[in-house]
Amino acid sequence: MSIWTRTRTQLAIIPGLVALATLPAIAGAHYNELDSAEDKKIMQLPIRTDGPKSLDPVEGSSTYDNMACAQFYETLLTNKYAKPLEMEPLLLSEMPTTADNGTTWHFKLKPGVTFQDNACFPGGKGRLITPEDVFYSLKRLADKKFKLKNWWLVDRTILGFNDFKDAQNAGDVFDYDAPVEGFVAINDSEFEIILEKPVYRFLYILTMFQTAVVPHEAVTYYGENFARNPVGTGPFILDSWVPKQSLTANRNPNYHEVFYPERSEWSTADKRNRLHRAAGKQVPFVDRIEFTMFAEDQPMWLEFLKGKIGYSEVPNSNFTDAFDLVSKELKEEWLRKGLRAHSNMLLDLTFRGFNMEDELLGGYTPDKIALRRAISYAIDLDEINKTFYDGRRTVYDGPIPPGLEGYPEDGISPSGTRGPNLAKAQQLLVEAGYPNGEGLPPIRFYTTQTAENNAVSEMVKRQLAEVNIEFEAVFMDFSTMIENLIKRKSPMFGYAWGSDYPDAENNLALFYGPNSSPGANRFNYSRPEYDAMYEQILTMGPSEERTEIYIKMRDMVLDDCAYVGGMARERFYLINPWLLNCKPTERYYGWFKYLDVDESERK
Amino acid sequence: MWTYIVRRTLYNIPVFLAIIFLMMAALRVSDPVAAQLSKNPTAEEIEGLKKEYGLNKPFIVQYGVFLKQLVTLDFSERSWDQEFTVSEMITKSIPPSMAVTIPTLTITAGTAICIGLVSAFFRGRVIDKTLMFIAVTGMSISVLVYIMIGQYWGAFLPSQYFQDWPFQVTVDGTVGSSPWYFFKPENWIAYCMLPVMINVTVALGYDTRFYRAVMVEESQKDYIRTARAKGASINRVMFIHMLKNAMIPIITRIMISLPFIVTGSILIEMYFGIPGMGRTLIQAINAKDFPVIQTFTALFAALFIASNILTDVLYALADPRVRLS
Repeated sequence: MSIWTRTRTQLAIIPGLVALATLPAIAGAHYNELDSAEDKKIMQLPIRTDGPKSLDPVEGSSTYDNMACAQFYETLLTNKYAKPLEMEPLLLSEMPTTADNGTTWHFKLKPGVTFQDNACFPGGKGRLITPEDVFYSLKRLADKKFKLKNWWLVDRTILGFNDFKDAQNAGDVFDYDAPVEGFVAINDSEFEIILEKPVYRFLYILTMFQTAVVPHEAVTYYGENFARNPVGTGPFILDSWVPKQSLTANRNPNYHEVFYPERSEWSTADKRNRLHRAAGKQVPFVDRIEFTMFAEDQPMWLEFLKGKIGYSEVPNSNFTDAFDLVSKELKEEWLRKGLRAHSNMLLDLTFRGFNMEDELLGGYTPDKIALRRAISYAIDLDEINKTFYDGRRTVYDGPIPPGLEGYPEDGISPSGTRGPNLAKAQQLLVEAGYPNGEGLPPIRFYTTQTAENNAVSEMVKRQLAEVNIEFEAVFMDFSTMIENLIKRKSPMFGYAWGSDYPDAENNLALFYGPNSSPGANRFNYSRPEYDAMYEQILTMGPSEERTEIYIKMRDMVLDDCAYVGGMARERFYLINPWLLNCKPTERYYGWFKYLDVDESERK
Repeated sequence: MWTYIVRRTLYNIPVFLAIIFLMMAALRVSDPVAAQLSKNPTAEEIEGLKKEYGLNKPFIVQYGVFLKQLVTLDFSERSWDQEFTVSEMITKSIPPSMAVTIPTLTITAGTAICIGLVSAFFRGRVIDKTLMFIAVTGMSISVLVYIMIGQYWGAFLPSQYFQDWPFQVTVDGTVGSSPWYFFKPENWIAYCMLPVMINVTVALGYDTRFYRAVMVEESQKDYIRTARAKGASINRVMFIHMLKNAMIPIITRIMISLPFIVTGSILIEMYFGIPGMGRTLIQAINAKDFPVIQTFTALFAALFIASNILTDVLYALADPRVRLS
């Protein structure tokens, strides 16, 4: 190589070095832009996955739709931040009352609640909410234009509402002014809703974001784009939504009077975490909320460790980094950094269900029940829990998750068929007509294609092989799985159900005959006596009598062995020291307004 | 040349129509409505969705409707999964993808050609073996490993020690909403440079091996020996004579890669939070969002056909012996 060539090569390196040296300076411009907002209280939080798909409550269904909508819209009732299983009024001045045992409910709207200022209102000024807004919002659930995605919440519940739905959807124009017998406005702030019969869950439905109050002006003004332009009464006003990337919102300056829970509402443990420190103060505390969507766990975890986002769910792969495996306590070195841990037991049922209409596995005759029970006895859920989830899940009998009425003591029911009990499994195989598994065709198990499901299925296959049951996992994407369930084609399937509200009735509905596929009863379980009991509990409020029926229903499902399971997941969160008042819950998502930031901790 | 282009375009129309037909038929093997249902669906909800999406019509009608949309360039159909029209989703997703893919393609091609030349020139010697070892190692490791290591060691860890460290772990909620946001130099460095470096590292191995093979073949040709005999310098032989004559495979390789500029990289976009086409597409596939999948496939097929025709034209420009007829 000539001297000149070498010199040229060396010279060529110089622009590269200059470029590298200037990188921080150029990138610094990015940070300077961010610093301009320094005088505001800004809170950065994560949303897992690609975030919401719609900001219109009636079209929403996922957790992430809920998380986003709850910042802009509000419901008549909500969950308590300090005690998330309990309800409290949000857009009401007091809890609804009933004089006839739950058929007619009387509501009083909270005075002074206005919609957010928006161009859809005359002069851009948000107006007071009225009973008509509540009725209008509920009527949207019945409009087929919105795909009837959440109609099931109020189906056969409100007097005359089903007739209204059928009549309006039969024509070309959906008339929102047409009356519904069960909607009675008394004056500008009071109204009644009359039900077909007492349905206790109705109040829980009113806590769900799909029933949030929306103004008709905004729906008309934004038309098809309403789902991207939320206008509610909520604590935040949408600033921008970049799908798959971010959602930002500013504080609603006209937010009505909502105060941080009083000191007396917090438990001793919560007080130890100083969650009561803002007691009695008007919310929200921050000026701006910025959500980042994380399709993967690692970036979310690293952003949390950098201190950029306020809290993070602890990814499975990082659990043992932060927590002691045995005690499930946060490790000392993490505590020293000022991080705080919080865990939530979800109202959750993960299970391996049987299609009760399947030729091999379905049916209610003793031999069919014996076969399902044999399978159940051969599966060791504790081994699965320990191997794949570090023992963080709660294994329990029956469909009622921990924390709810009807949950068996220590999770063990006398009707349970939890394994491993190989001797019992073999005996049941004899009763089923397949001694030592002879003549039994392979059990086809439909599940979604994930690395975890692959590994768990391998373990189940090995466990069942111990009693000579051949297990064949069939992997597919989620929508194909749903399609198979809807068409009742899955002999055995892996599935999960998160309770919509904290009442066992919601989980027991999974076995109610009329809810069979395509409904939520994916088992296609059908027992007339079970259905009769379900119809009975619908009308009952909390009582010993109702709990007894819950237990009977629970044990009936266990006796028939409609599924193997279940397990409830526990979520672990870590909270950065700069995020105050944070007690993550997945029961509802209106709690972000209670959060605050301590800028001194962040710096 | 123009006659050739028009003729090739006309020849490709049946191919394009066949691609659309097969793609639409393949999509309809399973029922897309299942992915859109609520938690507790009813038969009424399923029928309503089928009607709304036009899935109750015969397949040939659905095919015709989509072709009409393509011909009239009407992409105003709403996504089944998101609250946006197809055109909005595609126009918002392609620029962020391009912020990563264009630099990746440019840097990879430029670097790989240079390494290929050097490697071919030093064929069989230590420098060649070292370069090929690095290339093969680079391409043998999963992109996911590079992403995990890159995010941790390239973005997270240094930021703990250097306050102004330029690379960010992921796109966060503070960034702007314009799809062209990532093209501003400071934003590109913060969010795209590390992903580009990872992409280049992975792609470089494949390209280098290919270009080396091309250059080795070329370096054995008589004209190289003649040029050297006439006293041409090594640089001139390599960068003028050899490179020019190797342009046909180089053009082919680059042109084949061009349509992928709009597809983005699924893993890179998911991990680095880039709201690009890769993420949009995988989300659409998971949700069986036919309007987005169909439109994107049509766009990709059109780009592929266009790049093929353009490749032929470039052959003629690069090598006068090639005649377009």
